[in-house]
Amino acid sequence: MSEQARVKQIWQQDDRTLAIQWTDGKKSLFDVVELRRQCRCAHCVDEVTREIKLNPDSVAESLRPLRIESVGRYALTIQFSDGHKTGIYPFERLREIG
Amino acid sequence: MNFFKRMQDKIAGKGQSQSQAPSPELDQEVAQRAATSISPLAPPIAKATPKQMPKTGTLEAVRHLIAVGSGKGGVGKSTVALNLALALQKLGKKVGLVDADVYGPSQQHMTRAARPQMLEGELIEPPLVEGVKVISVAMFAAAGQAQMLRGPMAAQVLKQFLTQVAWGELDYLVIDLPPGTGDIQLTLAQSVPLSGAIIVTTPQELSLIDVRKAVSMFQTLNVPLLGVIENMSYFVCDQCTKKHYLFGQGGGQKIATEYGTNLLAEIPLDPRIGEASDSGRPAVTHFPQSDIAKTYLTVADRLLAQHILQRESDGALGYFVLEWKKL
Repeated sequence: MSEQARVKQIWQQDDRTLAIQWTDGKKSLFDVVELRRQCRCAHCVDEVTREIKLNPDSVAESLRPLRIESVGRYALTIQFSDGHKTGIYPFERLREIG
Repeated sequence: MNFFKRMQDKIAGKGQSQSQAPSPELDQEVAQRAATSISPLAPPIAKATPKQMPKTGTLEAVRHLIAVGSGKGGVGKSTVALNLALALQKLGKKVGLVDADVYGPSQQHMTRAARPQMLEGELIEPPLVEGVKVISVAMFAAAGQAQMLRGPMAAQVLKQFLTQVAWGELDYLVIDLPPGTGDIQLTLAQSVPLSGAIIVTTPQELSLIDVRKAVSMFQTLNVPLLGVIENMSYFVCDQCTKKHYLFGQGGGQKIATEYGTNLLAEIPLDPRIGEASDSGRPAVTHFPQSDIAKTYLTVADRLLAQHILQRESDGALGYFVLEWKKL
């Protein structure tokens, strides 16, 4: 079984960019406001229909993370300045969108 | 209110009026964890570095968490988890065992462990069984008393096993999972970075169907497979030496091959093991000369030799926190 790549290093690149260096050498950069818009938690995406409930325009450009924390071995979670903190971002997905 | 205190009060007939409503402990814990913020790192660029689990936890000195799971019920996960924990201990490792099966806990019955002691600061001292620290929800309930808990509460019990038990320094904490792919399994995989999972199965296809789902879950959660243990592989009757393959042959190997992992052992059905488990005498410690005990020691040996458990990490951050700075 091939193991998924994990986070080797994670840091704040600039005011609104999150940077991740993966264990396989790949590096990804994320716009944090875009990450908020990409949230797939049950508040933002209907659990049954998968319909996206979050209006991207409702996410202010001034929004920032407060705290980013690992979730087990497979994901991270972001607490945003708008109080939203239920999103879980699997590494696999981050590598796709990063 | 603390779950364990509530349970103990219940046993003692106190606090009957305590509501069963979901407690605010989870929120409290989240708040506490948030408060355990990492000291400011050198500005202007914040960088997350390898961290231990939050201070509210008691897992700081636990090197590896190993889940024993299956997806399928009744395949002998608890027997395997207990004997494996004891085998690791026999090889000189410091070992703990969590019975994560909140609804059908077995470890108390199989070990006859004493009730745990409450320590200062709401910490629980786990009882020792042959040198292994064991915790189970059965230790907090009267025999036959059902744990009627909804999913989030059951998951909360597991969280408390991980964060409110004085585990101290351990090489391995073995987690005996309940069947299924639900709240308990998800909470575990989301709360702690598991070093890996051992899959237990019986040989027949019916078992493999559920086992594949558990493997798929571990893959999604990025928990490495450490290997497969096939239980109830065959039966040797006392009149002959022929192996009777009651549930067919080769299921464990099949799963191991499918997912590119090792078949760690094929453990036979032995009525003495069932009887011994029922009387609180695990094979590894009470029948050390038996083939089964020797098999568990071999499995423990093979686990210790595994690359994944030997290396500290592949450079990956285990637990990390990054505080965002205003620039």
